[in-house]
Amino acid sequence: MVKPEVVIDEEQCQGCGYCVIFCPRKCLSITGDKFSPEGYLLPSFVSPDSCNTCGLCTLLCPRSAIEVYLNFDGEAQA
Amino acid sequence: MNRERVAGKPRLMVPQTAGFVYCPGCHEPLVARAIAEALEDLGMGDNAVGVFDIGCSSFLLGIMDIDSVIGPHGRPPDIATAVKRIYPSNIVFTVQGDGGLLSIGADPLMGVLARAEKITIVMINNAVYGTTGGQMAPTSLAGQETSTTPGGRDASKHGFPVHAAEMIATFKSTAYSVRCAVNNPYNYEQTRECLRTAFTKQMDGVGFSFVEVLSACPSNWHMSPAASLRWIEESLMPEFPLGEFKNVDKME
Repeated sequence: MVKPEVVIDEEQCQGCGYCVIFCPRKCLSITGDKFSPEGYLLPSFVSPDSCNTCGLCTLLCPRSAIEVYLNFDGEAQA
Repeated sequence: MNRERVAGKPRLMVPQTAGFVYCPGCHEPLVARAIAEALEDLGMGDNAVGVFDIGCSSFLLGIMDIDSVIGPHGRPPDIATAVKRIYPSNIVFTVQGDGGLLSIGADPLMGVLARAEKITIVMINNAVYGTTGGQMAPTSLAGQETSTTPGGRDASKHGFPVHAAEMIATFKSTAYSVRCAVNNPYNYEQTRECLRTAFTKQMDGVGFSFVEVLSACPSNWHMSPAASLRWIEESLMPEFPLGEFKNVDKME
């Protein structure tokens, strides 16, 4: 089973929302209840099931704060 | 459980620290990222020297892991000339704003164009002066409200926006002149491709290369980052059309 994961660096993120705008599958959302240490609203990875790890969120992140990973369960595949 | 990194921060970008901070939604770090990726594509990350201007572009010192110099306001083309002549095998590029290149830096720009220096100038066009608080820049649009033109830019008093990429394309010393943007993933990839071409012109010793990038300044446009993306498409792009204005492989 392969699980995509979007990791957002909470100290770097400034909550501009470009990742939310450009995610073609609407996996990211600014829910309004998460804040960074600097006080910016943080996006959350709300629907991991629809993510296909295209990487557009990380491409358009001005702070390069987003990393996209694939998690493999069980036996090593990668 | 095994973990594989699919996408993330390029090697030449470092996390921003206090003192090197851009406003939320600024496109300048995206341009830096495009430069970093273009240098990585060419394998020249360790042989590149960036010359940055005073202004928002000076913060690039803190977010790019390359050799860099900061010059007096408007003078990076002259410093880049010196660096390129001392280290001819390195890629030397400057990153400057529209104010730094087209008003105070217009004289050094004419100098490098007249001498046909083999450097690359990346101009970030956001239609205002960013660092100093949103004053009217040479590229401000007709009717645009800035902090020094509260009633909108009036052509009879303040003139018209300067089209740098078209102007530089008319010079014989120019090998490559292009205008691009980073407002969506497609345009971002185009910018990266254009930067790669510009650096290749320099490595091949063809001539001067110029890349103008339309960029958002949400703080000084008084817009949200999402609204500034729309403003780029609706207002900035009709005035400043994207495209390649000159691309030659050999100078006449």
